[in-house]
Amino acid sequence: MLNGQDARLIIQRPPLPSVLRRSLPFLASLGVLGGVLVVNAILQPNLLTLPVIRSNLATFLPLIAAAVGQAIIVLSGGIDLSAGGIITLVNVVLVSLAGVWGTESGWSTLAAVLVSLLVAVAAGLLNGLLVASLRLQAIVATFATNFVWMGLALAVLPVPGGQAPIPLYRLYRASFLGIPSVVFLLILVILLWVILKRSRMGQFLYAVGGHAQAAFASGLPVERVRMLTYGLGGLFFGLAGVFLTADIASGDPLIGSPLTMNTIAAVVIGGTPLAGGTGGAGGAVVGAIVLGLIRNIIFFANVPPFYQDFISGLIIIAALALAAGGRGRRRSA
Amino acid sequence: MGGNAVPLLEAVGIRKRFGGVVALDGASLQCQAGEVHALLGANGSGKSTLAKVVTGVVAPDAGEVRIRGRVEKISGPADMDRLRIAAVYQELSLIPQLTVAENVLLNREPTRAGFIHREALWQRAAEVLHRLEQYLDRRLPLHEPVGQLSPADQQLVEIAKALSRDPEILILDEATASLRRHEVDALNQVVRELSAAGTGILFISHRLGEVYELCQRATILRNGRVVGTVDLAETPERDLLRLMTGEDLVLERRGRSRPMSRPVRLRVEGLRVAGCLDEISLEARAGEVVGLGGLQGQGQSDLLRALFGDLPHAAGRVEIDGKPVRLGQPADAIRHGMVLVPGNRGQEGLFMIRSVLENITLPSLAHRSWAGWLSLQRERNAARHMLNRLQVKVGSLDDSVATLSGGNQQKVVVGKWLLTEPKILLLDDPTKGVDVQARNELYRVVEDLRDAGLVVILNSSDDSELLALSDRILVLYEGRVVDELRGERLTEQELVGASLRLGSSDRKEGMSHA
Repeated sequence: MLNGQDARLIIQRPPLPSVLRRSLPFLASLGVLGGVLVVNAILQPNLLTLPVIRSNLATFLPLIAAAVGQAIIVLSGGIDLSAGGIITLVNVVLVSLAGVWGTESGWSTLAAVLVSLLVAVAAGLLNGLLVASLRLQAIVATFATNFVWMGLALAVLPVPGGQAPIPLYRLYRASFLGIPSVVFLLILVILLWVILKRSRMGQFLYAVGGHAQAAFASGLPVERVRMLTYGLGGLFFGLAGVFLTADIASGDPLIGSPLTMNTIAAVVIGGTPLAGGTGGAGGAVVGAIVLGLIRNIIFFANVPPFYQDFISGLIIIAALALAAGGRGRRRSA
Repeated sequence: MGGNAVPLLEAVGIRKRFGGVVALDGASLQCQAGEVHALLGANGSGKSTLAKVVTGVVAPDAGEVRIRGRVEKISGPADMDRLRIAAVYQELSLIPQLTVAENVLLNREPTRAGFIHREALWQRAAEVLHRLEQYLDRRLPLHEPVGQLSPADQQLVEIAKALSRDPEILILDEATASLRRHEVDALNQVVRELSAAGTGILFISHRLGEVYELCQRATILRNGRVVGTVDLAETPERDLLRLMTGEDLVLERRGRSRPMSRPVRLRVEGLRVAGCLDEISLEARAGEVVGLGGLQGQGQSDLLRALFGDLPHAAGRVEIDGKPVRLGQPADAIRHGMVLVPGNRGQEGLFMIRSVLENITLPSLAHRSWAGWLSLQRERNAARHMLNRLQVKVGSLDDSVATLSGGNQQKVVVGKWLLTEPKILLLDDPTKGVDVQARNELYRVVEDLRDAGLVVILNSSDDSELLALSDRILVLYEGRVVDELRGERLTEQELVGASLRLGSSDRKEGMSHA
């Protein structure tokens, strides 16, 4: 018999082995990151100097933010194939607004950034409406909305051009207290995720992704949660679009398309299975950095351009296999 | 319980139709505060539908539900919370990936400054679990994902989750189906505590023993109508069964204990599986039903799974018809004519959303195909023939399996394996959650198979079923065969005694439910 008082007084903390077991996929993705870092550092000896870190992070940050958004959607049981479309839309809207409101003033920059983010959230919520309320298949519905966002982007800015707001462009390259601003932005993205994860909404994401019917039977507002995940995803795609615009400093109505599949690869490398219910955006951040470093490796290994995609595909498969190894084989007990 | 008190829960004249099928035809029931009220009936009698009306899962076409005398509209989980109704469903409402603690308090997470207060969550969950654990000899793993737990432990978590809602009305719908004996005892203790504190409990179970143990009154449904509400203390089991089925259905002894001269079909020597089975040896002859008895969870299911090649053998030798066989995976067992009907038909036995036809013909397609081609006509004939043989009533072969009752689903699982023309049938608790009538029909099937010369190895959580069907019973305890009952020793008393190892050096746990 157990003593009645014990259960009340002693808080049972998660035992270390079970914590380790649960974070195994994430640890595996860190292992992959370690391996890729070493290879990259051998080919590019100045990899870990501050300027290189800054420029790498500036390049990776759009994918990192987008991967966090995708992870939120995937772990709650969905998928968003329109991530690239939303990012493109943000890019052209931001550049066009700067064209109208001027590229110099800090206030107009802030306004343009906020409006672009709103556009992204609205696009995300629309995806959510289709998937959660109208019950369309996520993979097909977002595949379709992707064309809508890209079409809108072409309507807003038919040809590449325009200029990003100068304060945004400068901020992205600035340093504070010797630390590049992109580092702070990375921390901001991670912090947003941590806040979400620790709220009840975070718990609901996992519950809905794990077993939507059981979540409903437990009284969770499943439809609203689903809808919100797409809205939140949109917010992170919006941030990705803003970072991308700050990095390339101009508009391009075709810029975002290749990002969609990369966000999904980043999510999976980061240990979030497409089935949903487990994993997290932390892994997706690692996955996005791994993908970025793989591009570096190919560049510095002097692979002929013709083979770059081919090699990059092979390395991603290897990274996926390694990350999947961490997930282990589960046998029903 | 005074008859004039306002009932805590009352359903009046509930009607519900699903398409052309009348599920409830003016059903009513009353449950007083502090009462444990049984809701009984064969599968398809409408008792689950009635429970679902009370929990707002099903909207009735007519009739009303009153809580404490007030008519309430219950249309979902939110209304259940408001009215303090909690339910433990047969289909679990747990999230496999979340931990035990997270599941117990799902949608009840304590927060601090907008964030989930983890420590408080762990503590509160531990407190709720403690209400069950104090009657068990172990603790449930608070931080383990629920999907990693055994079905019994998942069921306990599901119960704890309902308890955390502090319900005034608790509905237990087959909540004991996957529990072991001492766990049922623990649940009974908690139910008694709740009823003493004034909670009304609606108890739905196929196990009449538990019903008599726990409940004061029972409402019996047949074909969607209430055929009676009885005081259990004054109603013998035979009368209850007659009310449920409209006919006398009693388990008669079907097994034979005469010595067999038929050849040995299955021989197992020194089978060992890490962590669950130790030095198991057995022999079964053609046309024999061998029962696996003992307390639940002493390795009976593991033995069946090991024979089916679903658990790796650490040591041992298995022979079928005198030839040694290697059982590395289920495909090996199937090739040698040995098939398993699992207890968990929803998860392991059937593709719920696929048609009856596809489900029943799937494992045996190769028997009827020619160079990879199938004749749809031949498939339908084979399926129809098997369904007739097993007396499964289906509207159309193309209906999805999910539309069938539990008993008929189980028969489809048996049927799909019989089409492979097996020599050895492994039955793992085949009548769990199946009503009396379908049960008797399944028994008839087992008898037929035995007469046709099959070996049947049967595990059952129902002792009377085991005694009725088996020619002899191997009693397992902690993964070993500790006794074999045959002939005159095939009695409930002997079985319970052997299960608890009365007379041998004993564990405290064993004594507590003697």
